[in-house]
Amino acid sequence: MILVFNLFESLKYIVTFDAEMYGIILLSLFVSLTATLIASLIGTPFAIFMSVTNFRFKGAIKKFILTMMAVPPVVLGLFVVLLISNKGPIGSLELLFTPAAMIIAQTLLVMPIIVGNIVNSTESLNKSLIETCTTLGGSKRDVIRLIIKETWPYVMMAVTLGFSRAISEVGAVMLVGGNIRGKTRVMTTFIALSNSMGDYSRSVAMAIVLLVIAFFVNTSIMKRGVMYDPNK
Amino acid sequence: MIQINNVFVDYGDISFKFKDYTFNEDITFITGRNGTGKTTLLKSIAGLIEFEGQIMGTGVYLSQEPVIFNRTALENIIYPLEIRGLNPEDYMDRINELGDKLNVKHLFHKNAKKMSGGEKIKVALIRGIIFEPKVLLLDEPTTHLDIESIDELEILLKELKEKMTIIIVSHNKSFMESLMKHEYHLEWKNV
Repeated sequence: MILVFNLFESLKYIVTFDAEMYGIILLSLFVSLTATLIASLIGTPFAIFMSVTNFRFKGAIKKFILTMMAVPPVVLGLFVVLLISNKGPIGSLELLFTPAAMIIAQTLLVMPIIVGNIVNSTESLNKSLIETCTTLGGSKRDVIRLIIKETWPYVMMAVTLGFSRAISEVGAVMLVGGNIRGKTRVMTTFIALSNSMGDYSRSVAMAIVLLVIAFFVNTSIMKRGVMYDPNK
Repeated sequence: MIQINNVFVDYGDISFKFKDYTFNEDITFITGRNGTGKTTLLKSIAGLIEFEGQIMGTGVYLSQEPVIFNRTALENIIYPLEIRGLNPEDYMDRINELGDKLNVKHLFHKNAKKMSGGEKIKVALIRGIIFEPKVLLLDEPTTHLDIESIDELEILLKELKEKMTIIIVSHNKSFMESLMKHEYHLEWKNV
């Protein structure tokens, strides 16, 4: 009965969301989408390079990436805080408790997920693509174009996983952003705060919005990466 | 024609040294037990792996598990024409003829990724010969083929041997007996 009442109250909140709530939602999207975009732009070429070449320490780098894929967001957040706090190496930039700090933390969180998933899913495929393209008379440029085209669905899958990780994490943004009202408060930190204050209706309302946004953004990214099916 | 002289391939944990040989036009089967380096030799000729020594000539290599691109069978087949800047329209008669011979013409507009193993081999074979290479290197081409398809392949290879040197690795006895003109036998040696 209490659950039904809370759900009813939550739906009422969603309908009557005020400007502050919309600000929180927009900031969440801005931070997570920007972090995912930066991580994708840097991580995808690096991942494809890793999957097609053999070099010294490649095995060690792969193990490091696998470890980083499983790092708890709060641990990564702590690392970023140490980096950007007043006494940190880049403390002079005064990034702590700003959206920029949250983007840095989420980028570092998402990058190993994107790189690791692309390398794991395309490594053997890319080697076969290089062999096939080469034996058919393709140049290096043809090989690169073929790899980009054939691995695109796997890249989009990795980007989707990266965004899911970014939008859903709370530990890193809480530490580096500080959950400051009107400045660095995002959906997940809002849910954590409302929950700790006993305001379950607002928590559930924001959780529903978070799930709906995650569904639509992930579906939109996945659509661009679905396996090309000429028979459809 | 393919000529191999003092070819040596080193994988680190295992190495292969191949006896000198000249593969003339017609069909040559590379025979030998598992692990004697048959695929290694084919890939060396195709220029896909590093080796020491000398190989005169090169060819198109078709593996027993060919990589099929995520597009239609026809788009797969015209891929080597496109990267050569050739107009696929000029080759449509030949593509249709090969499709008829290997009984895959009806699949041309289907996604090749969704085809069976045998159908993929046939599509990859047409893709590999459509630009008429001088040398064709087939690595166990009958692995996924049914009896009728093996017969179709035999007929096609008998036609192709007039135009190109064909080197085949196979363990299919009846297929070999039907086509074998020359044999290059590999014996296992721990080099």
